[in-house]
Amino acid sequence: MSRKNSAGTIQMNRRAVLSGTAALLASPSIISSARAEAPAVNVGVIMPLSGPNAQFGINGRNGIELAADEINAAGGIAELGGARINLVVADATSTPTTAGNVAQRLITQADITAVLGAFASSLTLAISEVTERRDIPLLTMSFADQITGRGYKNIFQVVAKASVIGKAQFDYTAAIAQAAGSKIDKIAIMYEDTAYGTAQANGLRAGAKAANVEIVMDDAYPLGITDTTPLVNKLRGSGAQAVFPVSYLNDSLLIIRTMRQQKLAIPAIGGAAGYVIPDFEKGLGEFSENVLSINTSNYDLAPELTDRFRKRFGYFMVHEALEHAVCLEVLVQAIKKAKSAKAEDVASALRGGKFTGGWINGMTGGAVQFNESGLNVLSVPLMVQWRGKDIVTVWPKDVAKSAPVWRT
Amino acid sequence: MKGRIALGILIAAMALMPLLLDPRGYWIRVLAITLLFAAMAQAWNIVGGLANQISLGHAAFFGIGAYTSTVLLLKFGISPWLGMFAGGVLGGLAAFIIAIPTMRLQGHYFALATLAFGEVMRVIANVWTSLTGGPGGLSVPFTAPDFFAFSFKLLRPHAYIALAALVIVTAIFEGIRRSAMGYRLRAIRQNPAAAEVIGVDTTRVKLQAAVISGALTAMLGTLYAQVAVFFDPDTVFGIAGISIRIALIAILGGVGTAAGPILGAFFIIPLEEIMNDLLSSRAAGLSQLAFGVILIAVILWRPRGFITVFDQLWARWSRMRSP
Amino acid sequence: MSLIQAILDGLLIGGVYAVISIGLTLVYGVMGIVNFAQAEFLTIGMFVAWFAWAFLGLDPVLAAPLSFAVAFAIGWVVQGQLIARVLSAPSVAQIFLTVGILIVIENGSLLLFGSQFRSVTTSYQTESLSVGPLFISVPYLIAFSMSLACGVALWWFMRASWFGRAMRATAQNPAAARLMGIDTALMYKMAFALGVGLTAFGGAVILPYVTVFPGVGGQFVVLMFTVVVLGGLGSVAGAVVGGLAVGVIQSLSSLFFPIQLQNLVLFVVFILVLAVRPQGLVGASR
Repeated sequence: MSRKNSAGTIQMNRRAVLSGTAALLASPSIISSARAEAPAVNVGVIMPLSGPNAQFGINGRNGIELAADEINAAGGIAELGGARINLVVADATSTPTTAGNVAQRLITQADITAVLGAFASSLTLAISEVTERRDIPLLTMSFADQITGRGYKNIFQVVAKASVIGKAQFDYTAAIAQAAGSKIDKIAIMYEDTAYGTAQANGLRAGAKAANVEIVMDDAYPLGITDTTPLVNKLRGSGAQAVFPVSYLNDSLLIIRTMRQQKLAIPAIGGAAGYVIPDFEKGLGEFSENVLSINTSNYDLAPELTDRFRKRFGYFMVHEALEHAVCLEVLVQAIKKAKSAKAEDVASALRGGKFTGGWINGMTGGAVQFNESGLNVLSVPLMVQWRGKDIVTVWPKDVAKSAPVWRT
Repeated sequence: MKGRIALGILIAAMALMPLLLDPRGYWIRVLAITLLFAAMAQAWNIVGGLANQISLGHAAFFGIGAYTSTVLLLKFGISPWLGMFAGGVLGGLAAFIIAIPTMRLQGHYFALATLAFGEVMRVIANVWTSLTGGPGGLSVPFTAPDFFAFSFKLLRPHAYIALAALVIVTAIFEGIRRSAMGYRLRAIRQNPAAAEVIGVDTTRVKLQAAVISGALTAMLGTLYAQVAVFFDPDTVFGIAGISIRIALIAILGGVGTAAGPILGAFFIIPLEEIMNDLLSSRAAGLSQLAFGVILIAVILWRPRGFITVFDQLWARWSRMRSP
Repeated sequence: MSLIQAILDGLLIGGVYAVISIGLTLVYGVMGIVNFAQAEFLTIGMFVAWFAWAFLGLDPVLAAPLSFAVAFAIGWVVQGQLIARVLSAPSVAQIFLTVGILIVIENGSLLLFGSQFRSVTTSYQTESLSVGPLFISVPYLIAFSMSLACGVALWWFMRASWFGRAMRATAQNPAAARLMGIDTALMYKMAFALGVGLTAFGGAVILPYVTVFPGVGGQFVVLMFTVVVLGGLGSVAGAVVGGLAVGVIQSLSSLFFPIQLQNLVLFVVFILVLAVRPQGLVGASR
């Protein structure tokens, strides 16, 4: 629209000026200046957008964006005069110190009502130290036991905690095996020595001990391990009838492949994370078929909602995306209940009562309710199984979409 | 002389800053962390600058300090002030332990051996769950504000404590540099064989520098624990987050000079924060990429550190003054 | 028997550690630079091989020369434009320049390729050979063979070709080399490009069993440095010995100690070896 004249300076031609002015006049902000716009509600979104957890941080952000766009398109928050949700997104990086700085920055500079984040428990814990001291609610799907174990008033976790998930990983497996006529007496546990792996392994141990099942192998391994042969060698020699690996993607692929190389055909029941993302199936192809894994939620419980994610982003709605969308939905419901976007009002609204509707239909029980420590008591872990390129909920029976296939 | 003036101005400026900043806010937190890292880089500077031993494992001492004071607090209710000194002793001891096998190592070998030592400590912290809480990390409990319990509601006291720490560590650095010990270290740096010949006990001097550096770094670990309130093995024993960062800070500023670590810290940490603020919401990885590009540009521009800018300015001013 | 299996596994994986680390020691040997960004070229090599597999259907092992070529080109430019400018600066400045390059490549990959974890599926990924009671993983065996071939090729190149000898001359005494008519600036470019190319080659070779994502190089950094320093910085034979040693130590340690302590054992051995032999196992210190 503008052209450089021979002297090299940019000249705006008349048409450019006229069309620019016309556009400005036509924009809603001028025409609707008579109608006051309700101030937007700022919601902080702090996710690892770089570093090893970038994939999961991006997924979480995508889930929140979808939910926010839908809420805004439907007219925003009616109780606040149609106020829109404004997401303030920031990279938590992989260093907890930075995550804490970022939280502080958002609180001080962006006037946020609440924080959603940050997938990795260590990042969430660091952020919670800031939000608790500044009385800002933090909604998360991180599940290390400590998150809800410190008596903090401003933390709200929408999924079950790690030890419960680990125990369910064992209990459900035992139930599925029993339903198929198999009995498991000896199991192997192998887990990454991260907060996530260690916490879940504790739950697995508790479940096995309660059922008097012998744990013949119980090994942590370093994060980023490049060779799982020693693990699988040990597994082969242990005589375990089922193995419970808790790992991210690279190790999960390595473990399954190495087991196949050594012709080890015992069932492997994954511990979420690497086992429930599309890259797992892409990496293993046919070998992913019928692999079981525990999960904190699953998209097939509410396909009418989660298909919208698949349509927009091109992959199935992974649990961290769904759970973060639920976090936003719960937050919005709390704002509606409190009829205010002030942090303290919203926090007290979050503490009492049950939340239903919208994206919350994707959680077990179709509702979310926090107890005094901030834990959602209605969330129950699910056992999922790979069928083709999808993961299907197979246990507990009342929410299962398909019967589990148990191969021995 | 010029060094002292510059240093004095810097310290005065830093003492005023906390008063100008919102005590509940973001920049005061960044200031506290910047001052802390400046102090850490200064402690590193004692071995990295004066002794020319590039250590990439200082996180080992930092983590020891953070864990010692926090574990003593959680298990025995001991005040972090006392825990800090306990951490200092253990940090010094750890420095002694690692200095012995690495004594004869040259340049890059030394750097990587210290890096390995830092990793050893990290794995120990990760595995010894009953003592350190393992990979889940530790939280300093939320107690009522109390100076003697090193607990404050706002961040301003932390900024001043970090400033005091920086002043003390800088004083120690300068004290060593100007002393007989500093003289001996310089001799070793320039020509170890010749130093031995003139009677410098190179082993003893290097050990002394290592122990002082290690003890100070450990004590700063306690300061970190109290301001960040939560940490895990990866945070305080981290190669990238701690070891490489403090070496980078000292080097960008000007290794071996007292002002170097301060300049480096005030450049790097606010830069990261600003990049994160401006760019991290636009695309994943963009803020880090920008940081990396700026880092490369700065090193190409001033490979010997920011301090050389001041040296040049001073030289120009001196030339202008004298006819 | 499990002892033999462990040693065998250690040697196989050690061979691969060797090939990805040879480049690092070559760069140090000729230029005196500790290249922290070396592992990022592993990432580049893996991405190239992955795209070759995804779009051209090439097996990663066949795509390895392509990875080499791409990394060689990038390395050539990086050396000429960035590293050459700090060759006379203090070595710490050089090291941290490479740290900056590491950050740029890792996050550049994140921006360009996204954060997904990509892996390849090959016909032999889940195969193994049975020799008596022992298992030999086929992907490891292929990687080991490729590494061996690569190592032999490099050895021949350094010994017999003019370029190789010119590089060694430059490493020994740059001033004398210049007097002999060798363009040392060109040699530095060659050495760096060759070094990072080799690491990228190794990346393609390990793609059948390692998933690639922007941060994958970071997982190998400490390992690569342990290998070259243990063997002796600057010595290609050292990288081979170091690689095999690291593989075997890791593998054996999991027989006697918890697997979680694998790296702890490795680092303690590493520190002790250096305490006794400060120049590394095959030490040819600069």
